[in-house]
This record gives sequence, structure tokens and C-alpha cells, in this order.
Amino acid sequence: MKKFSNYFLAIGTFVSLVLYVIFVRDANFTLAPLFEDYGDLIWKGLLNTLYVSLISLIGSLIFGFLLYLLSISKFMYFRALVDVFTEVIYGTPLLVMIVLMAFLVGPAFGNYNRGFLGIFGLILYISPYMKNVYQSSFSSIPKDQYMAMDLFGFSSWQRYQYIIIPQVIKVLMPPLMNNFSLIVKGSALLYTLAYAELYYAINIAQSRTFLFVEGYVLLWVLYLVITIPLSQLTKWIEKRFQT
Amino acid sequence: MKIQIEHVTHQYDVEVLKGLTFQLDGYHSIAVIGASGSGKSTLLRLLSGLEKPSQGSIHIDDMNVREEAYRKQIGFVFQNHNLFPHLTLARNISLILEKTRGYQKAKANAIAEEYLTMVRLQDQMHKLPKNVSGGQAQRASIARAFSLDPELVFLDEPTASLDPVLAYEVLQTVKELKGSGKNFIFVTHVLSFVRDFADYVIFMDQGQMIEHGPVQMLDNPETKALKNYMSFIR
Repeated sequence: MKKFSNYFLAIGTFVSLVLYVIFVRDANFTLAPLFEDYGDLIWKGLLNTLYVSLISLIGSLIFGFLLYLLSISKFMYFRALVDVFTEVIYGTPLLVMIVLMAFLVGPAFGNYNRGFLGIFGLILYISPYMKNVYQSSFSSIPKDQYMAMDLFGFSSWQRYQYIIIPQVIKVLMPPLMNNFSLIVKGSALLYTLAYAELYYAINIAQSRTFLFVEGYVLLWVLYLVITIPLSQLTKWIEKRFQT
Repeated sequence: MKIQIEHVTHQYDVEVLKGLTFQLDGYHSIAVIGASGSGKSTLLRLLSGLEKPSQGSIHIDDMNVREEAYRKQIGFVFQNHNLFPHLTLARNISLILEKTRGYQKAKANAIAEEYLTMVRLQDQMHKLPKNVSGGQAQRASIARAFSLDPELVFLDEPTASLDPVLAYEVLQTVKELKGSGKNFIFVTHVLSFVRDFADYVIFMDQGQMIEHGPVQMLDNPETKALKNYMSFIR
């Protein structure tokens, strides 16, 4: 109860501060026109952002795992490939990645579906970070346990399913959430491909209502609406697997 | 049990075993003794097929120890129990039976209960390894090894990380299993246990088998190294 009231107070402090800043700047601050005429558009944008984020989360979890498997491969070439890819991604701005995917890489392979290519770019971009999450959490399993898994004859899939993942899920969660918020925020850059996600929708509403600052405030709040429940969810999972 | 070791050399950073060749037949409980760093645990891991020798080959009962079929016939009790920490004692056993030996869930649970009862852990079986004593965890690990009904059981210093009382408990449990008709190869520092339990002894020093023979050899050690070792270990 004490924890709850303290959090309540902290959130109150923060919200008051924000509201104070907003209304000192502009006493007539209102989001109403954005909702009235563009509510539908923004709602669709929000759903699209959620959709893109979810697809990218799943995609990068899978692709990151493949990268992880390659990074522990017997073949030096595969390990080197993962290293090089990771370094390249580290130095690449997401904006560049998405634009080049949609206008250069995709067309080179005969694919002109920009929405798809943008999302694919996002997935590729996040994957090395996902690989890192796997790497650091799986390395917390001692060598003797792998020996025991060998001895008892678990298949590689069974190892991950029954032995490794259940043990590391607790340490896996916080960095996973980090990456997920990277994805949600990164998805805003899909607007450069005229993909109708949240930022794109709000951008249209802004340019037609001239409510420039208001649009950004709304955008900010809506991103928080997505990320905060998720971060709470990951904390809940973390607690559930506390052994 | 028939053991054939041919020209086995094994190295990590340094050479642990050097050009080992050895043959033995007709014994059922073999103790490997020697000081720390003598290569005895390495020998055990090679014999069990857990590790692949850098050179040479090992056959037990005419089966290459690196074969999958061999692996299904052995049990291994690790030094520090090595139970999966997120699973209860019972689940540590039933998961393996269910997933790698193809038992139905109910049957796997029944076997787990049977073997945990055998090592007197029926009251602890639904606890996690961290919530039982080291001796109890080690006994559960023994139950796990036996539940797979192996032909051959390896024990790698099963009492090394336990205090004397718990160690006694664990060794008592192992002795009770002697009549199970299984073969044993084990590493230990407890000489009284070797005398009670082994019928053959191999003494290792600096990566070599310095002296080996039926367990009575401990009454008349030939080499200075073994005499030395025995004067330290009581």
C-alpha cells in the first residue's frame, strides 16, 4: 500500500510538472481538434504502430536467435559473419537502414512493398541487439549443466525449452523490454516510407490543424501508453519466474 | 565390465593425460584415486564419454564411449549434484524420463517417486534443489542417475563438497545400491569407502596410472607415490 501511494505521488509530481510547463507556455492548450477531425486516423496509426512493433518484436526475437546460433557455430566463417553484421548495424542509423531497405535493397530483389521492406529493415536492425540478449543470458548457465544435458540426451530444442529458457527468462526480461521500446520508438521512422503508423498519422493531423506542439504532446503520450503497460508486463513475468 | 583404453592423450591448456593404454575385464566396481590434478576426474569424464579425448579411443564392453547408444546406458553423479536448479527434485528426474526416454508423464512421475523414496527423500521431492541440504541434493542426483536404469554408473567425487556427516549419508546411500547389479566407476578421496565398495583400484599421478590392481593392493602399496598419497588421506 505504501509502495502504491508513493508511486501515485511520483506520477502526480511528474504529470503536474508537464501540465505546468504546457499551460504556462499556452493557456489555451487543447488536443480537442486533433481528436475531433483526426481521431480515426490517429487511432488507425496507433493500431498500425502496435502491429508493426509486434511483428518486429517476434521477427527480431527469431532472427536474433538465428544470429545467436550462428555466433556459436563450429564454423568460424559464420561467427565472423555475425560479427561483421553486428558491427555494421551498430554504426548504421535506423533511418538510413529503413530508407536503403525500401529504396535500394528491396528493389534490387524485385520487391517494391515499402511497408514490408521497412518492417524487415527494422527487424534486421534490432536482431543483433536481440542476439546480445540471448548471448548474455545463456552464458549464465554453467558448463556443467550443458554437460548434464549432453549426458541425458536432450535434443537442442528441448534444452532451450525445458532447461535454458526457464532459467534465464528472469535475466532476459529487462534487456528484452529495452529492445522492445527501441522497436516501438524506431517504428516512427517508417513514416519516411509513407507507412501509416502513429507518427505519420499525427503528422497529417498536425499539418492540417497547425497544432504542431499539441501533436507532439499527443504522440509522446500515446507512445507511453504503449510502452508503460509492456514494461509492467515484463516486470510481472520477471517476478513470476523468480526462483 | 570390459574396459579398453588405447593411446589416450587429453589436454586442456596443459596435458592432463599422456599416452594412456589400459585393459581390464571382469571387475564391477572400479575406484580411481589420486591427488588433485592427477587427471583422475578427466579420466572419469573420458570414460563416461562426456568429453572426447584429444587422441586415442576408449571402448567399454566393446562400445565406443562416444556413441549415442553408450550414453543411454550410463548414469553420472556429478561432484556438486548438478541438478537443474529451476526444477524440483522429482521433476529433475521425471523430465529426463519423459523427454529423452519416452515415458508417459504419470509413469515418469511414479519412477521419480520410487527412486527418491529409495534414497529416503520422499518428503523432499517437491522442493527445489536450493531448498534442501547439499547431502540431500546429492542423494537426489544419485536417484536421478539410477532412475535411468543404467548399466554403468559414474560417480565423480560425490562427497567432495559435503561436510563429513552429509558425506557419510551419501556414501551410505551408494553402498545400499551396491547390490543393484550395476557396474561402478568412481573417483573419491575417502579410502574407507574404496575398501568397502571397490573391487579394483587405479591410482593416478601426473596423468599416468602409477599403480593399479584388485582392491587388496591398498594393503601393500608398491610405489612411493601411492604410499605418500595414502599417508595423507585417511
